[in-house]
Amino acid sequence: MSASSIGSSPNRVGGIGRVSGLQEYVADVRLAGVLEAKLVTLDCARAKIISIDTSEAEQVPGVRLVMTAADLPQPMPRFGPQLEDRPVIAVDETKYHGEPVAIVAADTKDAAEEGARLVHVEYEELPAVFTLAAALDPDAPLVQDPSLRPKDPLASTNVLREHHVDWGDIEAAHADVVVENTYSFPIVTHFAIEPHAFIAAPDDNGIAVWSSIQHPYWLQRILAKLLDLPLSKVRVLAPDPGGAFGGKQHAKYEPLVAFAAIRAGRPVRLVLSLEQTFQAVRRAATEIRVRTGFTIDGKLAFQDIKADYLIGAYCDIADRVVGKGSYPGAGPYNVPAVRIFARSILSHTTPSTAFRGFGNPQVNWAVESNIDEGARVLGIDRLEIRLRNLARKGDPFIPFDTPADGDWEQTLRRAAEMIEWGKPLAPGHGRGIALGIKSGPTTGLSYSTVRLLADGSVAIYAGTSDMGQGARTIFAQIAAEELGAPLDAIRVVMGDTAIVPYDQQTSASRSTVLMGNSVLKACSSIQAQIRTMAARLHGIDESAITVERGVVRLPGRELRLMEVLKPGLGKLGGELIGNGETRKDGDADHPLGGAAAFFELNCTAVEAEVDEGTGDISIVRHVTVSDVGTAINRLQVQMQDEGAAIMGLGHTLMEHFIYDETGRIRNLGAIDYRIPTTMDLPLEMRSETIENADGPGPYGAKGMSEGALLCVAAATAAAVREATGVAIRDLPLTPERVWRALRERGGRANAGTNDDGES
Amino acid sequence: MRTFAYERPVSLADAVALLDSHGPSTRLLAGGTDLIIRLRDGSARPGMVIDVKRIPELCPEIRERDGVLTIGATTVMADLAANGLVRRHFEALAEAASVVGSVQIRNRATIAGNICNASPAADTAPPLLVYGAVVVAAGPHGSRRIPISEFFVRSGLTSLEPNELVVAIELPVPASLTGAVHLRRTRRRGHDLASVTLCCSVNEAGVTRLAYGSVGPKPVLEQDETHVLANPSAPDDAKQVVLERMFAEASPSKRSMRASPEYRMAMLRLLGSRAMRTAIERLAEKRGAQA
Repeated sequence: MSASSIGSSPNRVGGIGRVSGLQEYVADVRLAGVLEAKLVTLDCARAKIISIDTSEAEQVPGVRLVMTAADLPQPMPRFGPQLEDRPVIAVDETKYHGEPVAIVAADTKDAAEEGARLVHVEYEELPAVFTLAAALDPDAPLVQDPSLRPKDPLASTNVLREHHVDWGDIEAAHADVVVENTYSFPIVTHFAIEPHAFIAAPDDNGIAVWSSIQHPYWLQRILAKLLDLPLSKVRVLAPDPGGAFGGKQHAKYEPLVAFAAIRAGRPVRLVLSLEQTFQAVRRAATEIRVRTGFTIDGKLAFQDIKADYLIGAYCDIADRVVGKGSYPGAGPYNVPAVRIFARSILSHTTPSTAFRGFGNPQVNWAVESNIDEGARVLGIDRLEIRLRNLARKGDPFIPFDTPADGDWEQTLRRAAEMIEWGKPLAPGHGRGIALGIKSGPTTGLSYSTVRLLADGSVAIYAGTSDMGQGARTIFAQIAAEELGAPLDAIRVVMGDTAIVPYDQQTSASRSTVLMGNSVLKACSSIQAQIRTMAARLHGIDESAITVERGVVRLPGRELRLMEVLKPGLGKLGGELIGNGETRKDGDADHPLGGAAAFFELNCTAVEAEVDEGTGDISIVRHVTVSDVGTAINRLQVQMQDEGAAIMGLGHTLMEHFIYDETGRIRNLGAIDYRIPTTMDLPLEMRSETIENADGPGPYGAKGMSEGALLCVAAATAAAVREATGVAIRDLPLTPERVWRALRERGGRANAGTNDDGES
Repeated sequence: MRTFAYERPVSLADAVALLDSHGPSTRLLAGGTDLIIRLRDGSARPGMVIDVKRIPELCPEIRERDGVLTIGATTVMADLAANGLVRRHFEALAEAASVVGSVQIRNRATIAGNICNASPAADTAPPLLVYGAVVVAAGPHGSRRIPISEFFVRSGLTSLEPNELVVAIELPVPASLTGAVHLRRTRRRGHDLASVTLCCSVNEAGVTRLAYGSVGPKPVLEQDETHVLANPSAPDDAKQVVLERMFAEASPSKRSMRASPEYRMAMLRLLGSRAMRTAIERLAEKRGAQA
């Protein structure tokens, strides 16, 4: 048998195609007679659509279809993963800048673009809200029509929903020190290198839709309902996305393109520009007020957290982000009294959606920073205060949820060691350390099929989307391990709802655990069949045979799985088929609809140097340690953590949308929306894992890949605080913002003093 | 992208004739790193694009003759940054060329394109001003030589006539030892548009030249005739007064989202004093090397 690959770093399945340009993305799919589409949008956020004149556009040579709301069923069909509030195309009114009012499909992209330019829309700009303050003003225009949520007492406000999580008694809690601050987190966007792309084509009395989507089966459900088709007649093809980060979880323009294809009677493709992806997906900006109570010995007495998330014009999955993102807001600590109050606030901006970390980085930024403030007031080392409060394995740190599922102290101590916590600092340098936690999936359902073919090679059918996280490789490693097949003899089939069995979704770092277990079960089913075969072939009772990790053990000897399979299948050959299912049912009484399958726990520590003249922050060293249970593929785990850390540095140091007074994104595009390049990386970056094989996934794995983003901001700002003496509570920490804070501080004398990190 | 006529003349005369007959509706294509973006986003809609890369007189070439370095119009940033003559005599220009865009951009973007685009943030503008470059332009009436200080008019506009094009840039090799440096402010370390650019040179005669960009409609050149800046024994206060006077032309935009006027002015001053220090150090090093 081949050596085990679990815990090593075999090459990524599909990796060559991904880096060489051979991988086929939606934009590359060749289809006969496909029309290329462009969207027509208005030059402001909220406008009343008075009339749309398509006649000139229709005259452009090559233009085959110009479609507006008038060409769609009435009333306008609406959809959404949480609320069915989003129209297929803007009807009567646009609600954010970039919302399409018409779509033009033509033989070429140039003709479509020319056609789109010649669609004349008469419109009147309407008052709109783009900030929390404006949206919460009692006189603010309503973003959502109250009739969309008739029984909701909040329907006449821009508050979509309120979320409460409480335990203990805050009012009765005794605190010697109370620290209260307000923190803000900006609007940032996913910036997947592959922009969203969609194709729809009439197919077999139904429709085929290609989309770079994370949840093909959820999309299938939404399209089936909108088009009144049976699920079997909606075929969703999901080529591996070129990055997704949550921004490709849910339907965006697939319904629009599907209606266009039906109307045109031909395939229609829409590929967004990078600018249009900015207008399609983003993270919610958040303002977080935290009041933290401490006892004199540094124990957390209470956390009182109020978080307002600025979501967009339609809900998408944003309200779930608010609920689930604020829920573990008190962190991985034992806190006797907690009150979390989070609100989803609608605005006339791009609908915010899932984004790596799912609402947690915002609250984490505030709460972890506030713990540092408390440590300073109390004169307690910032590492020490975390150690004093950290939940130990089995502690019910969130009383109604899964108890602490890891030895988290190991994670914290390892990161402290790697950053050389306590070692004297060079002048102008500072260190920060922070912990991040996120609930894994609360429900899940993943089916898989594994086929062991006559020659011992394997085909795996799994509905996960491999968007770069490496899911294909993990499933292949599991099958290789269980069935004794070489990795390069394994095919992983994904991304086609007509072929691959159902999977609920690719999100919440679930796939290694949920789909991984499903694949493991499918392999176990094949192992059981091998056992029956071996019993038949060797005339031994099944109970005397075990099959494990590619090896068949008979009394007194061991066979390779192949040595049973080949004679077992006999002359006709054939194959063995195993099915797997992982089901995690919800709990209607749980605040999140279900307890966490696992927690993602990360510790990030940063050493930074600040140029006091310019406000430039240099990250001298960045360490990130994640409790992953077991790293099935070591290099992939490292790459995920490093990628998450760098993405976190984006919102920490430079990324944010800037709006103008009409709700347009001013820095729309790569020139003025800056993400970190290789030149902006920490001078030294190291990622490590804590592995105690204590996760619920295969071989003790836990989900990972979001953790290392969660607390980058808090760790970095803490390092800046120590280096300069200034606490900045608004992100990103741009040079100009740091410079301003330094100027307000004046002088340089107090930099780094009175800081426990050095004691 | 909208359709346009495409011409690729192989002689300077043909290029000038095309410009002369089609004038304002033409756009010149060299590296294309600015033009192609504008063609795609629709902000440039020329009737004709004239590709100048096949014109022998504009060829990418850097040569020195009689104390003058001549840089062909289509010389790209990467070659400029790597060229030994440029690095020896015009180190700040090499530095500026080496921070334009990314590697891919520097392999395409040309020196003539960088100045003809006339962005106030053009990285090569301050060193060209400091080194006293001369722009050689060709038109229907032959060629003329325009001092770079008269070349930039305002953002997007140069003193070239619509029927003229840049053939080459000339740089007089400094007669005395010179220390110079180019500095810039960006929002990140990776490739970015500058929110302040600044070049400073100091020569043996004690003359300091300072040019800066991205803080007004065009890059500005100043010269310290008082010799105070280059004087190591002059008090800091006196130097500050001179520097302040030199920055009087700066008028950063209030509308920019890249940096506030306040921050730009503060960074201009900071870069000014940092550049002064480095230029003096470099001059001293050269003296030392010569000694």
